[in-house]
Amino acid sequence: MPRLDDQSKTIQNQGNEHKTQGSRVEGLESGAVTGGMRTEKTDTKAEPSRPFGMPGRPGGPGGMGGPRGPRGMIPVAKPKDFKGTIIKLVSYFKNEYLLLLAIFIMIVASSLIGLRGPYLVGRAIDAMEPGKDAVEFGVLSITITALTIVYVLNSAITFLQGWIMAGVSQRIVYRLRTVLFAKLQKLPLKFFDTRPHGEVMSRLTNDIDNVSFTLSQSVTQLMASVITIVGSLVMMIRLSPLLTLVSMITVPLVFILTRTIARKTRILFKEQQATLGKLNGHIEEAISGLHIVKAFNHEEKSIEVFEEYNSKLQQVGIKAQIWSGFLMPLMNVISNLGFVAIAAFGGILAVNGLITVGVIASFISYSKQFTRPLNEIANTFNTIQSAIASAERVFEILDEVEEPADVPGALELKEPKGNVVFKDVSFGYRPDVPILKNINFEAKKGSRIALVGPTGAGKTTIVNLLVRFYDTLEGEILIDGRNIKDYKRESLMKCFSIVLQDTYLFSGTIRENIRYGRLDATDEEVEEAARMANADTFIKRLPKGYDTELSESGGNLSQGQRQLLAIARAFLARPAILILDEATSNVDTRTELNIQEALLKLMSGCTSFIIAHRLSTIRNADVIMVINDGRIIEKGNHETLMAKKGFYYELYSSQFGEG
Amino acid sequence: MNLKENPNKVDNNKADNDRNKDITNTTNKNNSEKNTKEISLIRKYIKNYWKLYLSALFFLAIEAFCDLAQPTIMSDIIDIGVASKDIIYVLHSGVMMLAIAGIGAIAAISRNIISSNVSQKFGCEPRSDLFRKIQYFSFDNIDNFDPASLITRLTNDVTQVQNFVHGTMRIFVKAPILCIGSFIMAWLLSPRMTVILLVVVPIIAALIILSVKIGYPLFTKVQKAIDNVNAVTREYLSGVRVVKAFNRFDYERERFEDSNRRLTSLTTTAMRIMSVFSPGMSLIVNLGIVAVLWLGARWVNLGQIHVGKVIAFINYMTQLLHSLMMITFVFNMFIRAKASASRIKEVFSQENTIPEYIPQKIFKQPFKQPLATISKTGASINANTSVYTSASKEDAHAEKFLTHTVPGGKETDENKEGSSKIRVITTENASKDIITVRNDSGNIITTKNNSGVRGKVEFDNVYFSYAGGGGEPVLKGISFTCMPGETIGIIGSTGSGKTTLVNLIPRFYDVTSGSVKVDGIDVRDYPVRDLRNMIAIVPQKTILFTGTIAENIRWGKENATLEEIIEAAKVAQAHDFISAMPEGYNTLLGQGGVNLSGGQKQRVSIARALIKKSSILILDDCTSAVDVATESAIRTALRKHSEKYPCSVFIIAQRITSVMRADKILVLEDGALVGIGTHDELLNSCGVYQDIYRSQIGKGVASFAEVR
Repeated sequence: MPRLDDQSKTIQNQGNEHKTQGSRVEGLESGAVTGGMRTEKTDTKAEPSRPFGMPGRPGGPGGMGGPRGPRGMIPVAKPKDFKGTIIKLVSYFKNEYLLLLAIFIMIVASSLIGLRGPYLVGRAIDAMEPGKDAVEFGVLSITITALTIVYVLNSAITFLQGWIMAGVSQRIVYRLRTVLFAKLQKLPLKFFDTRPHGEVMSRLTNDIDNVSFTLSQSVTQLMASVITIVGSLVMMIRLSPLLTLVSMITVPLVFILTRTIARKTRILFKEQQATLGKLNGHIEEAISGLHIVKAFNHEEKSIEVFEEYNSKLQQVGIKAQIWSGFLMPLMNVISNLGFVAIAAFGGILAVNGLITVGVIASFISYSKQFTRPLNEIANTFNTIQSAIASAERVFEILDEVEEPADVPGALELKEPKGNVVFKDVSFGYRPDVPILKNINFEAKKGSRIALVGPTGAGKTTIVNLLVRFYDTLEGEILIDGRNIKDYKRESLMKCFSIVLQDTYLFSGTIRENIRYGRLDATDEEVEEAARMANADTFIKRLPKGYDTELSESGGNLSQGQRQLLAIARAFLARPAILILDEATSNVDTRTELNIQEALLKLMSGCTSFIIAHRLSTIRNADVIMVINDGRIIEKGNHETLMAKKGFYYELYSSQFGEG
Repeated sequence: MNLKENPNKVDNNKADNDRNKDITNTTNKNNSEKNTKEISLIRKYIKNYWKLYLSALFFLAIEAFCDLAQPTIMSDIIDIGVASKDIIYVLHSGVMMLAIAGIGAIAAISRNIISSNVSQKFGCEPRSDLFRKIQYFSFDNIDNFDPASLITRLTNDVTQVQNFVHGTMRIFVKAPILCIGSFIMAWLLSPRMTVILLVVVPIIAALIILSVKIGYPLFTKVQKAIDNVNAVTREYLSGVRVVKAFNRFDYERERFEDSNRRLTSLTTTAMRIMSVFSPGMSLIVNLGIVAVLWLGARWVNLGQIHVGKVIAFINYMTQLLHSLMMITFVFNMFIRAKASASRIKEVFSQENTIPEYIPQKIFKQPFKQPLATISKTGASINANTSVYTSASKEDAHAEKFLTHTVPGGKETDENKEGSSKIRVITTENASKDIITVRNDSGNIITTKNNSGVRGKVEFDNVYFSYAGGGGEPVLKGISFTCMPGETIGIIGSTGSGKTTLVNLIPRFYDVTSGSVKVDGIDVRDYPVRDLRNMIAIVPQKTILFTGTIAENIRWGKENATLEEIIEAAKVAQAHDFISAMPEGYNTLLGQGGVNLSGGQKQRVSIARALIKKSSILILDDCTSAVDVATESAIRTALRKHSEKYPCSVFIIAQRITSVMRADKILVLEDGALVGIGTHDELLNSCGVYQDIYRSQIGKGVASFAEVR
């Protein structure tokens, strides 16, 4: 079972930290009124905001490549189904419609009020226009009062909107997370077996985070930008249609410029991300495999490859940065050009007495407000696109096929006895690759069944079917005479206890971990179970005894000790059917003896299925079933199978005979 | 490690003294490195580009001045041009303004070109050095870090610092210039109105500081809550079988609900609190504008000021406040970069516990005077004439090494200007065939072994404890000898020290006391590279790399032919499954060899070691995922292989059957050697071995012959 350990946590945390701080910085910036700061902000945004994302986790146990962060490698993820995802996302907005409407109104209001600002400033300046003999204080005081009200209102509404939005977006995200986790609980094991955990986690946290951030920041920003643009245009036309026409000369320029640069940078950034991906891949490999690199004196070669990617990255990075750096200064020139054109033309108009100086001043402000959000919209749109892609990834999980629900009228499996029958069972994880073919056997109550065979023969699959982690394709499995599909899943599960090769311990105390077997167990029962499992001695030797906190995945205990805890857990559950899936494979043979003693106690009185690599573990089973290639090829106890000199005999001798 | 702790202190031979000296040297050097602050890291790398860096700052200054000039001209245009309806003036100034904007743009673009170059190169270099450093880490060093954290340092942290450097060239300098410049311009425009700034600016500054002060702890809390959600989810995902088996869905859901709710409420609070600041700041700025308008109007009325100046003043005021916010932004970046830089520093300041042959880069001083001292049993002769005359491959290698590494030194005891001295030291075995060459800092340059002995391994009273293990010895007084061509089996419980023992042979770790010798020479007297070339390892944890199968096997021997590869693969029982693949040996393996099964990976890993045809082969429990039949086939093939290419073999195993045929079996128990001998001898004499045997074969069986 692939395990996501502390390492990926570190990485992820750092990724998240980066993001949180990032959003904070942006929060501060959005207070900017006009001009300079925006320039810098857009400039920053042009760079990939999280270039390294989640490098994922280096090779885990057995060198398996861990879950790899799919994000961060792709510059702007594009959603596949933009519209569909939005519709789905909106369905999570229910209950919030009213508040969302309120927010929308507030955005419109604050944008419109904001638009009044420059106009009023213009009026105020008009009032003190040098052409007149004296400042018209009457007009001025009215305008200034109005201006003050506008500003206060604007800030108040912005604040209120931020306040409400925080609640709304977080509630939506909360709901998304809850729904997603609930979904995870309903998914069949197949889902977890076929998907790297890191990826699932990244959807639950990073992707949902992304959605939340976009909801609360970018969407409102986008709305405000649109309103500002439209409003500015309207105001400009109202002030002076002629000047508006003049100021429009810059629009095609801006358009051409952004198009050209965006086209160039998009390619370069993509290339940069790709190189970065390769570089990260190499780094990950070289570091997680450092022991091998050193053992084979491969340092220089590894450095060589690194240098190659590194310098490629440098070259592409320089190009990408230079190209994106062209945008802002050129935009500035263009906007100055617009300004001069307006001033000159406005001057001509003013000479002719067609407009006042104040009109020119406010017009200039509006024209600034008009061009600025154009850039912002382009950027915001990218963010929104990637958020929609995130949402899509979340919905992908939500759309996964769930574990089949209980059949109508499903039975409660009460006081199970533990008679198990497999009838003509066939199964494959993929329908075209059969794993089990026509399996037939019967396990009587209280008997001990061992499953033996080469790796990949289908031993674990039999167990997976028995506990309904997967459902049979053909044939049926009966417990106490009834098809297991007829029982309520929950009650069916209660009759099993499983001890796996990789013991899974949760973070918490030892006591809590054992109690996991039966949540209502008393402290005495927990300790009794530990005693039965031969775990009591070592637990008592720990400084805090049963209250010792286990680190995540129980790292502070030895394999054998962890296994004993798992057995104690199984004792507490007191199942009718016990399943030991390679329960002792990870411990050395002498520790195994100790565990085996506990296991024997556990097995007494219940039907048990034992899967083992080491044949010594299963010699005492009542029935040994030899599985090969998805079929039961031999059945019997140790003596009869040895006498038969068949496959079992071969296996047994190759393990003990040949040296 | 320092001199005091070095247990070799007792040992008085020359080699050891040199070694100790070396250790003290590195310690001193590293200490001084450690004392420097994080920023020195940035300074160190920026040094190579300081000219470019300064020119970027220069352009930045031009850019800033252009930015500053624009509002003035703008105000003039309105004040003089438009107000007096002087179109010529407007056009004239307009052209000037455009020119200034153009100059600004050119400066900005030049600055950007320079800063992009500098920052990208800046990122490239420490990353490269860091990678190099890590590649030459000793195992002790590696143990100090989580691999994931090393990866983050190489990627994320370097980028953080890089962004900061880029940022400094972009806004760091511009912001203060704009800030101060705007202030001065505003002052020049109207000293009286500047009073408003004196009120507004401190309030904004206070708000910014407050937002950082309040925001930081808030977001740290949020981060913790995110971690918690992550942890719960991770546990659920990895324990999903157990959850399902024990039907603990409700319990898990509650756990998740708790952390989810906490995260939601914390984030909401944080966002709400932070949502005060941004409108608050705009309000203050805007009220400042209102104040300027009001006061301005009065002064305009009194004829003390022009309207255009009021407009310009407003412009400067907004610019000033924006530059203040820019400074916050830089400040935030700085905090992040500082944390990253210190994480990078941490790696750089690791002292390498096993000084290896590290070519290039580390010492850049040229080899000035190749005057060298050779002490062969005390006598000194000139290096140029004697050592390098025997121009074997190793010597050439040594020479190359010298040119790069020996510092043009100052502090030599024997020769003041002569930079380096080289000693040829016969090892304590005093055999003429074995020569060790060292430079003055005790680093081994080359070791020559002409005795023809290949694959002899001796452990002499070896004690070992891991650096972080609290001094608890993992190996206690291990002594044994492996003669060339012998097979040594090692068996014992998990954690008994089996892997640790073999790790000492290629000097992955250094003994705490005692000695490990290969072919009669202490492993510490070999150049690490040469030592490891003699040894092939198949580790317990299989690690394959991106590339084809053939490339992976070629790790063992760079120029191996396909025939050699196939030969090795056949021995490892990998040939069949490899050739069954559509692409055969050219099959591309994903990272970590993900497209192979565990057993297949192990077999490729065995082939990779076999192709090396080294004199020592170490198999560390490397067939755990291989089924029993294949394993015995591998064992048989291995025996044949070692007849063809004689080598000493160390086999670590869980199963007794894997080591039964070994010439000697070492039985380890809690780090001590509790038995040594053949299978039959141990079965008679060694209790632990009997225990293990019984646990595997079953109680009824007394001897393996019976089973067979």
